[in-house]
Amino acid sequence: MNDTESLERIIESIIFVSKHPVTAQELSGFLKDVEKKEVTRALGELEKRWEAAGRSFTLGNVAGGYRFRTRPEYSEYIVRFNKEIKKFRLSKPALEVLAIIAYRQPVTKIEADRIRGVDCSSSVGLLLEKNFIEISGRKEVPGKPFLYRTTGLFLETFGLKNLRDLPTVKEIERIREDLSPDEVRTQDAETAEETERTEEDPGETD
Amino acid sequence: MDVYDIPVARITEQYLEYLDFLKKVDLEIVGDYMSMAAELGYIKSRMLLPRIRTQEEDEGEDPREELVRRLVEYEKYRSAAEDLERREILGKDVFVAGYDHGEELGEPVSETEFVKFDLWSLVDAFSKIYEDGKKSETRDLLFSYEEAYTVEERKTQVARIVRERKEVFFHDLFEEEENRMKLVVTFLSILELLKDGLLDVSQSGYGEPIKITGREAE
Repeated sequence: MNDTESLERIIESIIFVSKHPVTAQELSGFLKDVEKKEVTRALGELEKRWEAAGRSFTLGNVAGGYRFRTRPEYSEYIVRFNKEIKKFRLSKPALEVLAIIAYRQPVTKIEADRIRGVDCSSSVGLLLEKNFIEISGRKEVPGKPFLYRTTGLFLETFGLKNLRDLPTVKEIERIREDLSPDEVRTQDAETAEETERTEEDPGETD
Repeated sequence: MDVYDIPVARITEQYLEYLDFLKKVDLEIVGDYMSMAAELGYIKSRMLLPRIRTQEEDEGEDPREELVRRLVEYEKYRSAAEDLERREILGKDVFVAGYDHGEELGEPVSETEFVKFDLWSLVDAFSKIYEDGKKSETRDLLFSYEEAYTVEERKTQVARIVRERKEVFFHDLFEEEENRMKLVVTFLSILELLKDGLLDVSQSGYGEPIKITGREAE
């Protein structure tokens, strides 16, 4: 297994038939005689290759793993051909609740209620049903309410590598700084150092 | 300011105008901002009322600060939700091999859009019928308990009418309702039946009569 070309192809074939994003962890657990570093390198190489190939799909780095995904410009044809596709759709309230849970997790429903000023039970129920969120435990306060966090499917659906890949809400942070200059947030800078910058990063597109 | 000269009517009018505007924008927004509007009213009233102590410090935080803080907090997640929606979403913009086409991600499209689009049209249509009822003498009768029927009873009747006639105009269901109480009961029955998924509502275009049809039991 010294042949890097063949390692890439083995990994590629596994990803091709997988029904979920394949992680470097899974691959190196399976390819015992290959170092994880090698697997990670091969994955990065494959990602670049498929991007450069200019095909209708790419190898997407999502939810901590890799999966072939079509490019957005073909969505119209795919949906038209596959009549049975029910397109993704979430109402604004459900999306807001999802955003609150994504950015504040683990978080209780009550906190979401408080932020939105309305009861969020139905949205939380829907998000649970769709497997975008899950219960991560109970908060140690009276009533022991459930704590919620987002799932891997959430990351995959929104094309996020991991939770740190969530866009920082810059505009709002700025307003907050204006309001309380003592609490100038430096988190943006820290996140920038930790996270690998990609062209997806909205911090740069804005 | 003269306490006896607060233009309550004008404030209320503006408030209603605002709600009217919101109605046109998005039903959900109305709900979300309703309590906010009430809070604005509260703040206004607090500002109008004379303060017992003259020292501002004793009054504690300006209620507007708390409001601004909460608005900023909410705005943050509202815009984060918009950012999420703009991403390349699986099942909408991008697809994967072996994508489980039948297993939808997110909410079913038809039903949510349906209710979202039609609820205010229904409320609009109903308020027109209701306003007409107020003008017409025959309908402006006092409510009497003997004639009253419950939403439950009316639901059964409406369901029967729709089943028999297959298709009925929304306003036709109010034809025989001689008092306002009955108008309201009929409207509530229709809403309940919609919620139960027993009726479908359609409208060929804005301002067109609203058609009600029965839905096959699933």
